[in-house]
Amino acid sequence: MLALAWRNLWRQRRRSLTSLGAVAFVVCLSLLYYSIGGAAVNSMYRNLTHSTGQVQVHVEGYRDLRDFSAALIRDAARAESTAQSAAGEGLVIGVLDVPGLLIHGDRSRALALSGRQWPDALRASYLRQNPLEGTFVRPGDTGSVVLGRSLATALDVHIGDEVVMYAPGTEGFGAGSFTVTGLVDVLDPNLASRTALVSLAAAQELAAPDAVSRLEVHFPDVNRVQEDVVSADTAERLRRALPGLSVESWRELSPMLVRVLDSIRPVMALVTVIFFILAGLLVVNSIYLGMIERIREFGVLMSLGASGRRVMGLITLESMLLCSAGAVLGAAAGLPLVGLLARGFTIPGLEQYYASFGMDPVFYASIHPSEVAFAILFALGTGVLAALWPASLASRLEPVEAMRFTA
Amino acid sequence: MSLYRIENLEKRYRTGEVETLALRGVDLTIEEGEFTAVAGPSGSGKSTLLHLMGALDTPSAGEVYLADTRIDRLGKRDAARMRLENLGFVFQAYNLIPVLTALENAAFVLELQGVGRRERERRARQALDDLGMAAFASRRPNQLSGGQQQRVAVARALAAEPKIILADEPTANLDSETGHALIELMRHLNREHGVTFVFSTHDPRLLDSVDRIVRLEDGRVSGEETRGGNARAEA
Repeated sequence: MLALAWRNLWRQRRRSLTSLGAVAFVVCLSLLYYSIGGAAVNSMYRNLTHSTGQVQVHVEGYRDLRDFSAALIRDAARAESTAQSAAGEGLVIGVLDVPGLLIHGDRSRALALSGRQWPDALRASYLRQNPLEGTFVRPGDTGSVVLGRSLATALDVHIGDEVVMYAPGTEGFGAGSFTVTGLVDVLDPNLASRTALVSLAAAQELAAPDAVSRLEVHFPDVNRVQEDVVSADTAERLRRALPGLSVESWRELSPMLVRVLDSIRPVMALVTVIFFILAGLLVVNSIYLGMIERIREFGVLMSLGASGRRVMGLITLESMLLCSAGAVLGAAAGLPLVGLLARGFTIPGLEQYYASFGMDPVFYASIHPSEVAFAILFALGTGVLAALWPASLASRLEPVEAMRFTA
Repeated sequence: MSLYRIENLEKRYRTGEVETLALRGVDLTIEEGEFTAVAGPSGSGKSTLLHLMGALDTPSAGEVYLADTRIDRLGKRDAARMRLENLGFVFQAYNLIPVLTALENAAFVLELQGVGRRERERRARQALDDLGMAAFASRRPNQLSGGQQQRVAVARALAAEPKIILADEPTANLDSETGHALIELMRHLNREHGVTFVFSTHDPRLLDSVDRIVRLEDGRVSGEETRGGNARAEA
């Protein structure tokens, strides 16, 4: 039956090739679509988690606290050590955000100075996204600051200049002088005019000795949403290890983004369904015409003893073979393209647009094996659905009438 | 026990307001091993009778028994199974499947029966060999002459080892020499293998080698002849 079904397909070579090509095109398009969608999702995930970590620890109710001191985690070194034990392979870093005024000459800007630890993996990731001129923050260095280029321009600051940070109402020195050692091109315009980076030690000396605003847990090697199986578990372990503190995974920290991320795949699935419906119409046309042209033959098959179900099976098999061949061709064309795009690509003209959302304008196509399987299963499903109507018509033929049929 | 028993068979066709009586009360029995021709002019009801014998159509009245099992009221699925298990068909227009080779065509009914690949190939080759078509096993129908195609069609019917082969004007599209040769071949299979044949024809030249001739006229059996000169006129 398989040989018969396959050969039947090639009776009308051009028609079958058109339908097969449509399915192949749709499968290829779906794979590209999934991979680009995956690239966008992972880019958002990566941007978020690289800047905030997968899990954060704060004091309870920190969102409603207006007082700087009340929002601090005290005895930061011990809290960090406890968190590190609970976080396993996660990288725990302390962060202290200091509200204040940055002054250079007669110019000043209000901002939140960010003092943090910069393990190698996080520094490399940050600088890949935000190109640096000069020298980056050194651990333990209490006299250097790296500014966002926009902020530096606004304050008319250059590398090597001295700036003063004034942090009134805090618990440290409350003011300090820093040498600008580097300038970073911050992609996110909202951050570009507010970025001032110092070491955690410098921020603590300025505003809160042995305290942090938060602890972040980073998993630098986890770059895809699908691979993130650690956040929830780690958050749970930290909750047990740090009672009295608020522990949130990135999903709890950014519910809006999570809603966006969670809606992308269903939308992609819906668009894929539309792709396949369009291809399916071509397949229906091909299979239906093939059925009409062979009505006499189906009459003969039934006369010889083939049941209606058998005839239905033959037509469905033809349709599935057509769609399977299309799926194989589509995957053969699509997967190498996805591989090519996985090396990184930009969408010309949209770099600034993505940057305005704080997203890396370079996308890395990413497709999960389940999505490849999904596209191929969709193609096979299209084959079955496209055959239903013509196959059902053929299965109800009366042998004698069918053998008398003339198209 | 008769292989076939047909009692008072009627078939009416209605086209708009016009009703046509294709068969008007046919009674007939076919014994196992017979080689019977149903003869008559065009429109006499030969094809209709064979279709009803094959449960390809339902009669307006009357009954058809195959080996004492009533087959005229079977549902579509049961009728298909009955044909698959008991009957072989040979058609006027050969009706081979154009994308299959002669061997694959000959093996097709066996495949429907679920016979394993090796066994069905063996039996299909044997059937082609019996019909002198072994050398053409790998050819497709469009590479065969009409006579060769019809022999493949007989091989297809024969390979499944049916109780009876119904052939509807199997020689109508063949020249008289080829047609006669085919009838002789079928006759040979009937004698050597004991296969029961019932075929319809309106060509009187092909009737010399049959055991029995059932003559149909206007949907009625108008007479029967058996070899050896026994003749019986009806109604």
